[in-house]
Order: sequence, then structure tokens, then C-alpha cells
Amino acid sequence: MDAKEFLVQMKSRTGYDFCDYSSLSITRRLEKICEENGATYEQLLSKLVADKVLLAKVVEDITVNTTELFRDPEVWISLYKTMYQRLPASGPITFWHIGCSVGLETYSSLILLKEVGVLDRVRAFGTDLNPRVINVAKLGRYAYKFNSHFIKNFDEVMKNIGSSSKFEDYFDIDEKADTITVKPFLSAVPKFMQQNLVQDKVPFPYKVDVVFVRNVLIYFNDALQAKVMQMINTKMYDEGMLVLGKQELIPNRYSGQYKQLGFYHKRM
Amino acid sequence: MSDYKAVVIGGSAGSFAVVLKMLANLKPTFDLPIIICMHRLKHIRSGLVESLNVKSSKEVIEPYDKQRIEKGLIYLAPSNYHMFIEFDGTISLSTEDMNNQSRPSIDYTLSSAADAYRDKCIGIILTGANKDGAKGLKDISDKGGFTIVQDPKTADVPTMPKAALEVMKPNLILSPEQITDYLNKL
Repeated sequence: MDAKEFLVQMKSRTGYDFCDYSSLSITRRLEKICEENGATYEQLLSKLVADKVLLAKVVEDITVNTTELFRDPEVWISLYKTMYQRLPASGPITFWHIGCSVGLETYSSLILLKEVGVLDRVRAFGTDLNPRVINVAKLGRYAYKFNSHFIKNFDEVMKNIGSSSKFEDYFDIDEKADTITVKPFLSAVPKFMQQNLVQDKVPFPYKVDVVFVRNVLIYFNDALQAKVMQMINTKMYDEGMLVLGKQELIPNRYSGQYKQLGFYHKRM
Repeated sequence: MSDYKAVVIGGSAGSFAVVLKMLANLKPTFDLPIIICMHRLKHIRSGLVESLNVKSSKEVIEPYDKQRIEKGLIYLAPSNYHMFIEFDGTISLSTEDMNNQSRPSIDYTLSSAADAYRDKCIGIILTGANKDGAKGLKDISDKGGFTIVQDPKTADVPTMPKAALEVMKPNLILSPEQITDYLNKL
């Protein structure tokens, strides 16, 4: 059995469909998982069908959940000065974070929206395939240790946007419990929902002004990239704005429909 | 020129100056793609590619995901991404977990080059402060690729070249100047 056949079998026997993930990178990660479990593809498959805990772990390993508060600060500083100043002047503003993981990027954006002074008009949705990360995002609680760079990134962004806001304005730090928790006024805003981009519809009814899909499309093949772009285009207002990862481009077939302005893309 | 398809270089602490000098002294006709994976200091996220471009006779770029690898260009792993070389001659990026406390991880770039190019690639490990890259260089060597390790005596921080020498035997152990000379004679 090769990786491709494994993914087909995994789809039919567990319901998790990774067939349209970029084949080279998913093969690499699957080989690593087999190696760690000392299993062939056949053996791994039988284990997955029998063991829910292992299945969750493998889904976790296949999907990439790396994220941090204000990841790539220079991107957020630039977005604050550009995109966040060009939001609709009245009425609700809707944000959609695709592949939101544990929600840190959604909260980064909400902090900037508070700084811009429009938080009370914002609807924010974060969607992800993995139910574990959705639950963490809803709680808005993260380990304190090993995450000191959150505070560094935060301070760097605030300094560069001319804000005097402090980390403690948005987060409660509990060193004893080893937690950083998003303050309730902020964590009450976003709705985090599970969504499988391969098979599920968008789980909220609104049209969106801004879509974040950072470092998500890099894991997909052309077909799934096109499907996601189609989904985005259907949900997005004509004047909508799209934010990709720092080293991502709009997939070829759709590049004519967007104009790149620094770190974001405006729909044309 | 030889039938090599690419030169793949890994380095960490101290390697920026070495790479800078190397790129400045490469002959203008050198046209193999050079793929560089360098660890960066946390506080220096940007500016690296710009500084390299000032000195380099060839264009240095931080590739986009799925960008095609072309002759005569120099590719630098973007900060905070792992960089892989794919069988179809493109670069793919990933934000998965750190490897050897590093993202980009030199092992990932070099191992993927070993898979993609097999004996058609030259792998080089430069000065650096951790062992990332040793396994990747061994993979290149195991696939029949040509391998060079910077002479630890000439390294700012010898940990990385020493780690490579512990797990494999390179074709050459050279000073930075000798590495450039070697490439220029290809």
C-alpha cells in the first residue's frame, strides 16, 4: 500500500478525507508517522480503525496546527496601517479565519480591531477541521511557559502602530497555573466552529469582508485549493480582502481576481 | 558545467558572513541554483535577503510556496517556514513544528534535496551552533550526492560541522574560500 492508497482507505474507513492534500508533503508526514509507530501503511490503517485516540493523534500530526500570537509581526504592523484602515465605515464587519487552529490569529486580529476602534461592529468566525484546537480557541487559554514570544510579538506590534496598550489589557497571565488567558471582553466576540473544507459547507450565514487563510493552502493540491478559493469567493463581498501566509500567492486560476496590496489581496 | 542540478547549503551561527562572501565571489557564469537554509536569530526576521542581494552577483529570493527552481537563482529559506525541494523541481514550504529547535530546519531541506536530486546535488554544511543539518548531509551522501563540510577549524562555531563529521564522511573538508573555489571550478 502506498500513501495514496492509504489515504483512500483512511477516507472510507474513518471519514477523514486527506486525499486532496498536497501529495508530496502529506506523504512525507505519513512516512514519519509510520516510522514513529513502527508500522507499515496496512498496520497503521488497522490501528486507526480500532483506536480512536490514535486516530485523533494522527489527524493532529497530518494537519499542521502551528500558530502564534502576531506571528510575523511585520505582517500585522503593515496590515494595521493598510487593510485595517480600509474596513467598511459603518455596519457590521465580518471576518473569517480559515484553519484557525487554536485561535491565536483570530485574537491577534481582534486586538487590532479594538485598537482601530471598531471591535463593537465586528463578527469573527474561526473554522478548523480539528475539534481539539477549536476547543482551545473557544477557551482562549494557552500555556505561559514557552510562549513568552507572544508578549514580545505583542509589544513589537503595539510599539510600531503607536499604541500604548499593554499585554495585560488583553490577557490575564497566571504564572502559577502557567496560563495566558484572553480577557472575556475579547474571547466573547469570535465564534469558533469545526469545518472540514473538503466536505462541509461554511457554517455561518453571513457574507464576509475579510478572510484570513494563512499557511493553509500550502498543504492542499490544486483541486482543493481551487475548491477553497471558490468557497471564499462565494462568501466574500465584492470589495472583500484576503490575507494569505507571508510566502503564499493566490492560486493561479484566481490570481486575476485579486490585486495584491502589500500583505493582503483586494478582490477586484 | 557539471551534471549537478543544485547546490544546497546549510548553516547557522556565523554562516551569514560566510554565505555573503561566497555569493560575492562566485563567478558570474555559475548557473546552478543555490538553495540556502540558514537559521536566523529570532530578532532578525527580515532584511537577510536584502543584505545578501547587495553583495551577491546573482539574485537572491525567498521563494513562495510551489515556486519553480530555476538556474542562476539563489533561494533562501524564508523565516519561520520549513523549505523542501520536491521531485517536480519546485519548492514547497511548511509551518509544521520545529525540528532540532529550528524552523527552517536544515535537515528537512537537505533530506528533501537528497530525495529529489539523489547523486545530482552538492550539499554543504557551514559553521553553526547546533546539530541540525548533520542528518540531511548524511542523506545526500547516502544517495551518492557530493558533500562538503566547512573545516571546523575555520568555523566561528564548530558545533554544526563537527556534528556532520560525526555521522558521515564528506567528500571534502574545506575552508570557506576553498568551498567557493571548488564551486567556481565546477
